[in-house]
Amino acid sequence: MHRYTGSDRLLVLLIVALAGIGFLILVGPVLVVLVTSFTSSRALRFPPPGLTLQWYRDLFDPVRSSQIHVAAGNSLLVAALTAIVATSLATAAALAIARTRAGWARFAEGGFMAPLVLPGIAFGLAALMFFSWLRLPPSLALLVAGHAMIAAPFALRTVGAAAAGLDPALEESSAALGAGPWRTFRRVTLPLIMPGVAAGAFLAFVSSLDNVPVSLFLASAQTDMLPIRLWGMMETALDVRVAAASGVLVAVAFILLLVMDRAVGLARRMSG
Amino acid sequence: MLDDSRSAGSAPDAAGRLRGHRLDMDGVRVRYGQTLAVRDVTLSVEPGEMLALLGPSGCGKTTLLRTVAGFIRAEAGRVLVDGAAIDHLPPGRRGVGIVFQSYALFPHMSAAENVAYGLEARRLPKAEIARKVDAALAAVRMEGFADRRPRALSGGQQQRVALARALAIEPAILLLDEPFAALDRSLRLDLQLEIKRIQRRFGVTAVLVTHDQDEAMSMADRMAVMNAGRVEQVGAPAEVYDRPATAFVAGFVGTTNRLPGRIEARDGAGYRVRLDAGATFAVESARGFDIGARVVLCARPEQLALRDGADAPDAFPARLRQSLPLGPALIHDIEAGAAELKLHAARHGAPPAPGPVRVALRPDATPALFPEGETT
Repeated sequence: MHRYTGSDRLLVLLIVALAGIGFLILVGPVLVVLVTSFTSSRALRFPPPGLTLQWYRDLFDPVRSSQIHVAAGNSLLVAALTAIVATSLATAAALAIARTRAGWARFAEGGFMAPLVLPGIAFGLAALMFFSWLRLPPSLALLVAGHAMIAAPFALRTVGAAAAGLDPALEESSAALGAGPWRTFRRVTLPLIMPGVAAGAFLAFVSSLDNVPVSLFLASAQTDMLPIRLWGMMETALDVRVAAASGVLVAVAFILLLVMDRAVGLARRMSG
Repeated sequence: MLDDSRSAGSAPDAAGRLRGHRLDMDGVRVRYGQTLAVRDVTLSVEPGEMLALLGPSGCGKTTLLRTVAGFIRAEAGRVLVDGAAIDHLPPGRRGVGIVFQSYALFPHMSAAENVAYGLEARRLPKAEIARKVDAALAAVRMEGFADRRPRALSGGQQQRVALARALAIEPAILLLDEPFAALDRSLRLDLQLEIKRIQRRFGVTAVLVTHDQDEAMSMADRMAVMNAGRVEQVGAPAEVYDRPATAFVAGFVGTTNRLPGRIEARDGAGYRVRLDAGATFAVESARGFDIGARVVLCARPEQLALRDGADAPDAFPARLRQSLPLGPALIHDIEAGAAELKLHAARHGAPPAPGPVRVALRPDATPALFPEGETT
């Protein structure tokens, strides 16, 4: 039997303490927002003096919160389109990278992953300047383009892991049996990497939905996005509906996460 | 239903057999970067024949198979089926069926869907596909497993489904890439016999890639022994075993004992060879050697024998280290100077005691002679 020495115990203690602090920092604020969203006071305050569902009623009121609803609609539309665009691009890139051992593939992969470390603010500003240099007016399409840049690395990671696990003999088999490239992709490749594709699309959707830095530069009055609208509401008045909206977002993300994890083992894919 | 009758594969004849097709590799050369993986290989496979490409890993046998399949483009040379070049055709239009080492069954499809895949790609009518799938699964005795996913099948069953899938498209040529490598040794012989039977019954021309000489011996009508991208010898398994054309073949196919020596004189249809170990053997050889040339005599374990008698001139002194029983035979582990020898003998009575012995050539033995430098 292995006996724990003093330094072993210290290490275990340290790890537990760090994990605890991390957990507190990550989950604590979410709990604070959730509790605050039920406050009976007229402004954001924690702890709440009493509890009410008032702010959720206000949030879903089509007249009083119409601007929020427009922004939420835009955000959902952009997130859905971003998921489609980013996942399609990432799938094409991941398959190309998985099929070659050439040096350019590693280089290309690095390029695709770059937005992950690029500061969003810098990219948002650059995208704004680039689009206005092209004389393109602000639109949802430009928002989708910007979000897809940020979201593609997430999809590339999950699809890439799925594609790397694919036996090349499967696609060769398909080709030898007389299937063309399109049939091979549709009948063999896509079904086999589908869990990675679905996980990637989910991550792209969520990262677009709560993106602030890119939306900040690319959104306009006509293309208001939910996170930007919430930020604006915070600046003008400490509107409690912001907390309620956050509560809804947290709940939706949590449910989606559970569904995706059940369907495709998301946690496993993100670590792979 | 293909527009090209050749790539549509074989039409069954009246007896339900496929018409055999001839495969020719004509000066095929394949290069990977700086290295030549296949060096100007010319080989023919007769209609209905099974040819084994036998060699160590890296000898180019798989590369050659993949070139025939159309996954690799040859730098020079041609691949012909029934005399027509197929080099410009993609894999799916060449009329080849392939069984991969990993079987490469589609894991998300049932056995029947796997077998139907190639027929669907050919856009055959549904009823015809169903009929051919049933027939192909029945041919490999897997009709009871049609709805199983590959994961729910054993290795041997997966291999039979892979074979059914390859045969369902009625290929002109069947390519088998190390099909038994992933199977338990105990299963291999049964499946080898079964695949051989099916190949014969379908009358399909086949190329088998393997590094296992027993597999090549038991399955192939002829074998091509490859080394460093070249074919060193082509012939029936027994012929290759009995009369290896090169020192490499002698060493790779079967076990061989290498005895260095010197050509002493011409002797009938061969030479008298003075071994360094201290005996003179008469050896038949069609090759030309100068008197005094250094040679290596390659003798099979069953071509040598222990000899009683103190100083027979046709036996050399050695030391018996141990004798091990191997089924009905006895393996003698012998040391003769720097050389280590293995001898096969019938097992009767108690094995001889370790110690000094004399080794001779059996009277009917036909060992092979190679120039010294050729030995690898």
